Amino acid sequence: MATSQEKGIDTVIPDLRDIPVDRLAVLGSSVLANSIALYRERLKENGIPLSSFQARI
Amino acid sequence: MVATHVLPAAAFAALAGQADDPNAIRIVHEAQLSKHLMLIHAIAEAANGHDRGPVAFRAARELFARLQAADPEAAAWLLGLPQLGGWAHDCLIHFEQGSAADFGHFACAVAAAAVRAGFRFELDVPMRDGRVRLPGLGYLTASGSSPWIRLHCDGDRVTGGDHFEADWRQLVPDDGSGGAVPLWSGTPMLRAVTDGFACSALLETDDPYLDRYSLPMSKDLSPEEIQRWRDRFQRAWEVLVRHHRWAAEPIAAGISVVVPLTPHSDTDLVSATTPAAFGAIATSWPPDPVTLAETLVHEYQHVKLCGLMDMVPLVESGGARVYAPWRQDPRPAGGLLQGIYAHLGIVRFWAAQRHAETDPDEILRAHAHFARWRPAIHLAVQTLLDTGCLTPDGMQFAELLRNQGRELASGSVPAEADSIAREVALDHWLTWQLRHVATDPATVAELADAYRNGGPRPGRLRSTTIIGEDVRKVGSAIRSRLLSMRYLAPARFRELRADDIIPLSEPDRLLLADRTDTAIEAYRDLIACSPDPEPDAWIGLGLALHRLAASRCQPAFTTSLALMFDVHTLMRQHIDPLDLADWFA
Repeated sequence: MATSQEKGIDTVIPDLRDIPVDRLAVLGSSVLANSIALYRERLKENGIPLSSFQARI
Repeated sequence: MVATHVLPAAAFAALAGQADDPNAIRIVHEAQLSKHLMLIHAIAEAANGHDRGPVAFRAARELFARLQAADPEAAAWLLGLPQLGGWAHDCLIHFEQGSAADFGHFACAVAAAAVRAGFRFELDVPMRDGRVRLPGLGYLTASGSSPWIRLHCDGDRVTGGDHFEADWRQLVPDDGSGGAVPLWSGTPMLRAVTDGFACSALLETDDPYLDRYSLPMSKDLSPEEIQRWRDRFQRAWEVLVRHHRWAAEPIAAGISVVVPLTPHSDTDLVSATTPAAFGAIATSWPPDPVTLAETLVHEYQHVKLCGLMDMVPLVESGGARVYAPWRQDPRPAGGLLQGIYAHLGIVRFWAAQRHAETDPDEILRAHAHFARWRPAIHLAVQTLLDTGCLTPDGMQFAELLRNQGRELASGSVPAEADSIAREVALDHWLTWQLRHVATDPATVAELADAYRNGGPRPGRLRSTTIIGEDVRKVGSAIRSRLLSMRYLAPARFRELRADDIIPLSEPDRLLLADRTDTAIEAYRDLIACSPDPEPDAWIGLGLALHRLAASRCQPAFTTSLALMFDVHTLMRQHIDPLDLADWFA
């Protein structure tokens, strides 16, 4: 991920705006898989208990 | 090939700079829609087998795909629901923990979107507690013992099982205008209009996936309680529109759900935001409209930053926990960043609010809030940078926040408000030091020996900034509350002081009565003569000393209170704390 004044920041969220939900499974996109893996990794790091949001941040 | 959302540099800077930039907010919001679609996909990969939950999920996903094709706005509405985020978050946590996720709830969510759009569908949805929940709309009360019910919409009428039928146009949130539909309970809607500007949000009192805050959701509010919330929301909106327009319009666009919380005590004010439910904020009952307005500003800052941090990692995991001027506990870098961002909004709010108030007590409160948080931004940003936990984007963001803090730093504050704010901030810092700064026993022993022997304080010491959770018990909460009450509730403070019924130690009583010199002597005597450590008295002594002109002793309290306290405790002699502080200095 690189920051540049011209281009902006490539984020870690895949741009799925125009993609039908039933097409996601056949995209075979590593971007999508990587983003999901990153998200799940963050959940593990935060150690959020099942019954609670990470509130009072 | 799927690309990622791109955040333009100008939008990144606008989010840091609190600029009212609808484009930046729109980009964050669109990324949340993608995030929710991504999470649905992640959940779909686990929704296998023939149990009713996964079967219902797959059917709902097919319906959602049809809805996406036929009515993109309806699909986007669903993807923007905080309730959907809360549920998806819950599913992923279940996956991590290897427990059963509630796949079937997705059918409720998709059915809600289809009902709202008048879309033809037929779908089995789960029923819980006698309710079929349609997130974002409300719930229908169902009968029968089956845990599932078939919902059907023919484009005009919605039926549920064999007992419920209504026009889909009537299955809407309850804005208080009447039009009751049998068996249908619309989610209460808060709607405010001021000077032509409107704001609405759902008062969510039922969705189990938003009942996940550290305090429980206030459920089943009475009509009178709901009306109180509507009235307060309207009044708070008036405050925002008339004095904080920079915040009002983004809040109207960005907050779609308010979750009322039940606090442990009626006097507690607790508010919260979670990255799991973008667009939702939670708060206990706000005591006045200005407080609710400030809460909306505060929590919306968290909403924005949660959205940004979903897109752009700003903080690395791990790292030490550090001091945050607004929290009693040590915070990780991510939490500190959230606090800084929220308090930038708070400072900006009070900077304007102090000029909007007319009542002397309210003026004092506004000025003191401003003076309390204004200097905290710079200190907290430096602490954050020192953690070494920021990514390059995070460092850039923090610098932008620091610049923003500088821009808000101008403006004079009346002496009384400034003095109260400084003392409350000092009390927080001194208390935090004693609670959370652990010391090295060898260093403490070395210092105690040197002091006993009449030598100078050793110049080089081992590291003494080991931060732990509650390493000492400090019990000065009543004094701290009273110090804050001087600006948070001045009238109440005057009453309590006049009645003289507060259970305070004699030195604390003298401090609160502004008899500073006498209080200092009383704290010195208490610390020197008590057979037990007196952490509360050390904090009180530090506070009292800082009311006087600058002296050599003062820095010892602000920089080394925990160490000084532990050295004094180790010596267990009749040692004047001011002599020790002077030696430390």
